[in-house]
Amino acid sequence: MKRKLVIAVGVAAMMTGIAACGGDSDAEGAKDKDGNKVLKVWVMDGSAPDAWIKEVNKEFEAKHEGVKVEVEEQKWNGIQEKVTTALSEDTPPDVIELGNTQTAGYAATEGLADLTGDKDKLGYDGWNKGMVASAELDGKLYAAPWYAANRVVIYDKKIFKDAGVEAPTTREEWLDGLKKIKKSNDKAQPIYLPGQSWYVFAGLLWDEGGDLATQDGDKWKGGLATDEAASAMNFYKELQSLSKAPKDKDEATPQQSTDIVPKGNVASWIGLGWEAGGAVAAIEKAGGKADFGYFPIPGKTADKPGSVFLGGSNLAIAERSKHKDLAKEWLALAAGKKQMAKYSEEVAGGLLPNNDDAQFTPEAGSFAEAMAKSAVSGKVTPVTPGWANVETEPNPVKEYMSKVLKGEDPKKAGEAADKVINERINRK
Amino acid sequence: MTVHSQGVVTSAPEDAPGRAAGDAHNPPPPTGPNEVLTPSRGRRRLPTGLLPYLLLTPAAVSLLLLLGYPLIRNVILSFQKVNAKELITRKPEWIGFDNYGELLTSSTFWTVVVRSFVFMGTTVLLIMVIGTLLGILLNSLGKAMRLVLSIALLMAWATPIVASVTVFRWLFDEQFGVANWFMRTLGFSGYDQHNWFETGTSTLAIVMVLITWGSIPFVALNMYAGLTTVGAELYEAARMDGASNTRIFRSVVFPILKPFFLITTFLEVIWVFKAFAQVYAMNQGGPDGESQTLPVFAYVIGSGQQQYGVAAAISVLTILILVAAMSFYFRLILKEEDEQ
Repeated sequence: MKRKLVIAVGVAAMMTGIAACGGDSDAEGAKDKDGNKVLKVWVMDGSAPDAWIKEVNKEFEAKHEGVKVEVEEQKWNGIQEKVTTALSEDTPPDVIELGNTQTAGYAATEGLADLTGDKDKLGYDGWNKGMVASAELDGKLYAAPWYAANRVVIYDKKIFKDAGVEAPTTREEWLDGLKKIKKSNDKAQPIYLPGQSWYVFAGLLWDEGGDLATQDGDKWKGGLATDEAASAMNFYKELQSLSKAPKDKDEATPQQSTDIVPKGNVASWIGLGWEAGGAVAAIEKAGGKADFGYFPIPGKTADKPGSVFLGGSNLAIAERSKHKDLAKEWLALAAGKKQMAKYSEEVAGGLLPNNDDAQFTPEAGSFAEAMAKSAVSGKVTPVTPGWANVETEPNPVKEYMSKVLKGEDPKKAGEAADKVINERINRK
Repeated sequence: MTVHSQGVVTSAPEDAPGRAAGDAHNPPPPTGPNEVLTPSRGRRRLPTGLLPYLLLTPAAVSLLLLLGYPLIRNVILSFQKVNAKELITRKPEWIGFDNYGELLTSSTFWTVVVRSFVFMGTTVLLIMVIGTLLGILLNSLGKAMRLVLSIALLMAWATPIVASVTVFRWLFDEQFGVANWFMRTLGFSGYDQHNWFETGTSTLAIVMVLITWGSIPFVALNMYAGLTTVGAELYEAARMDGASNTRIFRSVVFPILKPFFLITTFLEVIWVFKAFAQVYAMNQGGPDGESQTLPVFAYVIGSGQQQYGVAAAISVLTILILVAAMSFYFRLILKEEDEQ
């Protein structure tokens, strides 16, 4: 009796432990509240200004009676798992915002609706060609480009002025200026740069002529065990040594724009338009006043700004959406020229719209102006469906950066990272 | 069948615990299991026929549904290739033992296995030693202090996992952590901005402290409960024979409470081995996967990298490894039973 009990307890305990590791998901009915059809839209944190998206939905609901648009804001952190799970469900969100580095990966999973036949309705011809590339796979269209953006250096004008430092145009000037701030101001950190800000590193790598991964026949291979990566990392290390930011975190943990910068004593940081906006809002909410200046990430020479990752988002429709036609209508409206012009205005040019004609002329001295200046050096991550695998956590590029910053040999760390990249990027 | 377990008690001071003493010559206070079982013996014959099975049905059905079904699904999944694409299209591809082959030949997997065992072994040892000592302390304290200690232990036990992980992360924070302050105060250098999560070993050491802290109350309170069943006259007799405290523990307390030690260690091994939230929430298995234990490894491969088939294979292997490792323990428990 007792023996059996003991065994039963043991087995039950073991099974509970292991079976508990599974995931779960809820499938809400995406229909019918008061008899209305519900169109569910997922947008990312910082993508859709409130006023703008309300306006879009109002116009849409007026046109389509009995339809309600429900917008859910998602965080970037862990988004891939979330989107994959959502796309596998019977009632996925109808419209999903996808990062431009991940769209090809999702297109390859067959989870996105093919929009090739709707090009005219969506306004394909007016789209920025550079942005469309990330929404296409094997000649088919899987998403509408929405916006693009790149990072610039955001600086505290007062701290820079007190230290007698001007906005730099070359890497050398940049470092000299930061060192000068360090000498004259013992309270502020010259730059807040966490060790795993890998989009910043990618820019430096492109400046050196390297790339995160290159195509080699029909395979891809990682590019971190290279001299280019070593010298890019070398410069990153020098910058990072002027920062008090942790070496094993990225810019989102803690969120630099709202958790770090508003506390003050950050002379400069590298961020996107929505991050700058978030910091300004947080400072004003606390009763302060933000006085930010902006400059493009300096290049090796003054004639060309440093390379930057041209980030951005596309809007896709889930293959399993129950309201595909409505979703297409919504897409045509939201990503259409008229609404994109309003969008561009709403974000004050801080995000580039998918249509060049909808571009808002940025104010002098604004984030948008600095961003437009550096856009000429914009580049994207390797264009292959496998790239999305590389970006999942633990991200080999981030681990590589942390290792080098902690003193490991860049070649050795690069080889370890390339091994992971090769395995993931070629995974079918 | 457990009638004779008192025999162990009586033979304690002299003999090694065990087989002798089928017939006890003096009746010591019965140990726990006896007390429970004796009254039930009279009633045991009452429920006949269907009733016992009927009573068992709800538990059995819910076990089968909630554990059996996922377990079977998991095993099936482990023979399939299910990445993001297969998950979304719902067309898993049968690949036989490929997932297993890939894992068993990967050095990463074996590193994680070894790490999991070292981690589990050390933690369980710590828990059992400190828990037992605290149990003894509870038993020898006066009423008021015992209450205070019990409450303190219960509080530690009742703290939700993620909340306690958060507190531990703060304790070991790079900039404001009390751990760095403490080391500085003690006069150690290099703790101005020491990053406690810089290596996997250091990260796991902190997790170990956390799990030990959270698990000691269970052992200590059980130990205390067990100790209350050891009669005071046994101590007196042992003292009269001139036994020291350690000797009393070794020759009186330990043999009596051996079933307690067996089952508690057994449970702790399972609990620590499967600890997921503590390890994952502490540092997501980082840096660079160096603090991944088997459950975290399975999660990172599955949910993180969307290779659900491989993750299922990891969890099946985890069960098999754990069963293999625990089989000696099963044997030990069974042998113990047979001897009695």
